[in-house]
Amino acid sequence: MTLTHSLYGRLLAWLALPLLTLGALLLLQAWLEARATADRAYDRLLDASSLAIAEQVQWQDGRLWLDLPPAALEMLAGDAQERVFYSLVDQQGRHITGNALLPAIADTHDTDDALLFYRDITWQELRLRLGIRRSHLEGWRSKERFEVRVAHTREGRDALRLELLRGNLAGILGMGALAIATLLMAVRGALKPLTRLRQAIRTRDPRTLAPLELELPRELAELREALNDLLARMRRVRANQERFIGDASHQLRTPLAGISARAELALRQTQPEQWHTALTAIHAAGERSARLAMQLLSLTRLDNPEQRPELTPLDLNDCVRQAVRAHWVTCHQAGVDLGADCPASPVLVAASDWQLQEALTNLIDNSRRYGARRITLGVLSHPPRLFIEDDGPGISAEQRLPVLRPFYRGRDDGEGSGLGLAIVDGIARKHGARLSLSEGEADRGLRVELIFPETAS
Amino acid sequence: MNRHLLVRGLFLALIYLLPFHAHAAQTLHLTARDDAIPHPPLVIHAALDLPQARPLLDAFQRRHPGVDITYRNLTTLALNERFLLHPGEADVMISSAMPWQFALANAGHARPLRAHIPDDWPTWAHWRRELVAFTFEPIVMVVHRELAQIGATPRNHADLLELLATHPEELAGRVATYDPASSGAGYAYAMEESRLSPRYWDLVAALGNVDAQLVETTSQMLDGLQDGRLLIGYNLLGSYATPVVEDDPDLTLIIPDDYALVTQRLAFVPRQAPNLASASLFMDFLLSPEGQRTLADATTLGALHPAMSGPGTATQLRERFGDALRPPDLGPGLLAGLDRLKRQALLARWQREFRRTLGNAEEPKKDE
Repeated sequence: MTLTHSLYGRLLAWLALPLLTLGALLLLQAWLEARATADRAYDRLLDASSLAIAEQVQWQDGRLWLDLPPAALEMLAGDAQERVFYSLVDQQGRHITGNALLPAIADTHDTDDALLFYRDITWQELRLRLGIRRSHLEGWRSKERFEVRVAHTREGRDALRLELLRGNLAGILGMGALAIATLLMAVRGALKPLTRLRQAIRTRDPRTLAPLELELPRELAELREALNDLLARMRRVRANQERFIGDASHQLRTPLAGISARAELALRQTQPEQWHTALTAIHAAGERSARLAMQLLSLTRLDNPEQRPELTPLDLNDCVRQAVRAHWVTCHQAGVDLGADCPASPVLVAASDWQLQEALTNLIDNSRRYGARRITLGVLSHPPRLFIEDDGPGISAEQRLPVLRPFYRGRDDGEGSGLGLAIVDGIARKHGARLSLSEGEADRGLRVELIFPETAS
Repeated sequence: MNRHLLVRGLFLALIYLLPFHAHAAQTLHLTARDDAIPHPPLVIHAALDLPQARPLLDAFQRRHPGVDITYRNLTTLALNERFLLHPGEADVMISSAMPWQFALANAGHARPLRAHIPDDWPTWAHWRRELVAFTFEPIVMVVHRELAQIGATPRNHADLLELLATHPEELAGRVATYDPASSGAGYAYAMEESRLSPRYWDLVAALGNVDAQLVETTSQMLDGLQDGRLLIGYNLLGSYATPVVEDDPDLTLIIPDDYALVTQRLAFVPRQAPNLASASLFMDFLLSPEGQRTLADATTLGALHPAMSGPGTATQLRERFGDALRPPDLGPGLLAGLDRLKRQALLARWQREFRRTLGNAEEPKKDE
């Protein structure tokens, strides 16, 4: 289960990412703040110490004089027992006294005011904090300027910084742990209905198609509704199938019952002529039953959604010519005028050849059975269309939808099976084509059109 | 190495300013026993006289017979100079010149001793675990029996001041003290005392008034006292005076009961110590109850170990004198004493006060 394939992981990642970023930023800020705070606190020592020294600077015997107060150095050392360094430098930058030649801070601009500058320096391999106080004498005669430079090691600052940081860190880590725990619980809780849904589906009786009754949050309720829709459609499909099976068995039973009755009747006869007549009738009924069974088979195959026909590009003109060739003889013998009306250029669609043939066969058969005398097959382009037109009785507008249902017959004359148009409709749907029924020329007969989707090319 | 140059410059300035007796180093060599587990040798540079150091070194070698010891006794100033010239020569540095020792440690010359300092070692007796004080030696007065003919034996500084002020003629030329200008120890005491009490300057004036002899060492004062040339010695190093006074019934040792300075020997292991293992062994020993017991029993240095009690220990001195004992703070305040201008100022004042006649004592005086 990789992160991207798990909702749990994905949610967690996207929620944890900002959390961690925030945590990192907080840590960085805590680090900087601790440093600044520690420096601020300890810079006061530099401040106080340099002030204490500067106050003792005097003008004596024509030179700067310092009576170094020991307390200034002790102050500078603080509790952390820092190493301390100090230096008094005159106007010309000469070292007057001190225990170290502390460097000047070069980049500060000169002003007359008493000022204090701080710098972190590395001096003789020691990391020091240097404080420089610029001051001048407040005497009557001399306004000599001078600098007091004091420095100490950073141990106290580092210790204070660590202490501050540790305090902050505990807070941040505690908050982080709490946030992550909450996050985990929240994500887990949010995904819990999903588990319930899964369990509900898993524990269902496989034969039941009853809708799911389950309290779910809105997002999942939509999924539940979709599932219930699917179940409802499946219920309808099953009902259709049950009716179809009922109709099919009824349809098959009728000719079989006829055969049985005819045979029984013939057995009571003694004349071979009568037997012959009976056998002829039985043969015809048997053939009809066989054809009915074939049609049922193809309809079942067409209804199976898992069966996808292999669609290859083919020219509808070829298709029509082939159909005419196949049926011309039978039609001619029956006195039906079968013709084709094809454009000069090929009309290409992606289709299954045998299914189109089956559809045309059914349509021709239908027209013939319902008494058409003239049947015209044809092809039109833009969009690609197959049509068949006859001069038969046609189908009234209100019957055009029901006739597509299996076993529905416009007229009950026992000739048709009521499956032909249903099969054609099934084939049309397999090709993504639309089946359209209308009147033929001069409001007579029937015109059936198979309208294919425009191909990309 | 600016830092070194500076300290050295300071130091050289002192040398040229002052008459300075550069004693040739006394060297003591204690050879390791052949049958012992061999250790790296140990080189100790110290300002600690041999009679005081010898028992300690012997005890250490009894404990660690495999250590070959070279002990050089130098004056405090020579010790400091030698270290700055050859910082990688000694394994242990011992000196009673606290400001100089502190300056070296402050400049980062000392190696942190960490666990080698016992946990119960008083915090005021070490600095950053780099520099450790291991003795406790009061600064004392020694008087000759003849003084009783002139006045009562002084018990404290006030007594002494009064004695000096009331008998200037009898005491003229018969009092001695350190010359702060030529003795590092004398300067350090003057520095401490001037901080402790403003009346110190009256005492200096009184000393000047009796034409006190200014000397450089405790032993010079002890010599004069034993001879009977001197009646009062002021500010003698107690650890050196004690054995002499004990042997001489004419002399009395007085630890002032108002305040008594205390000097402490400071030891550190230089960062560049060549034999770190031996140095650590020695420091462990020095601060251990065993080493401190040796200090208490066999020397007059005064053992500092807080668990020690009885004669020759800081504990006993503290019981007797309590708050009067003023060991200097082992801190950067010591550095102030090394400040060039500070030194000049203090010495100038000292000379001025020393020359001032007592009659002018009440005259308001502006310091600088």
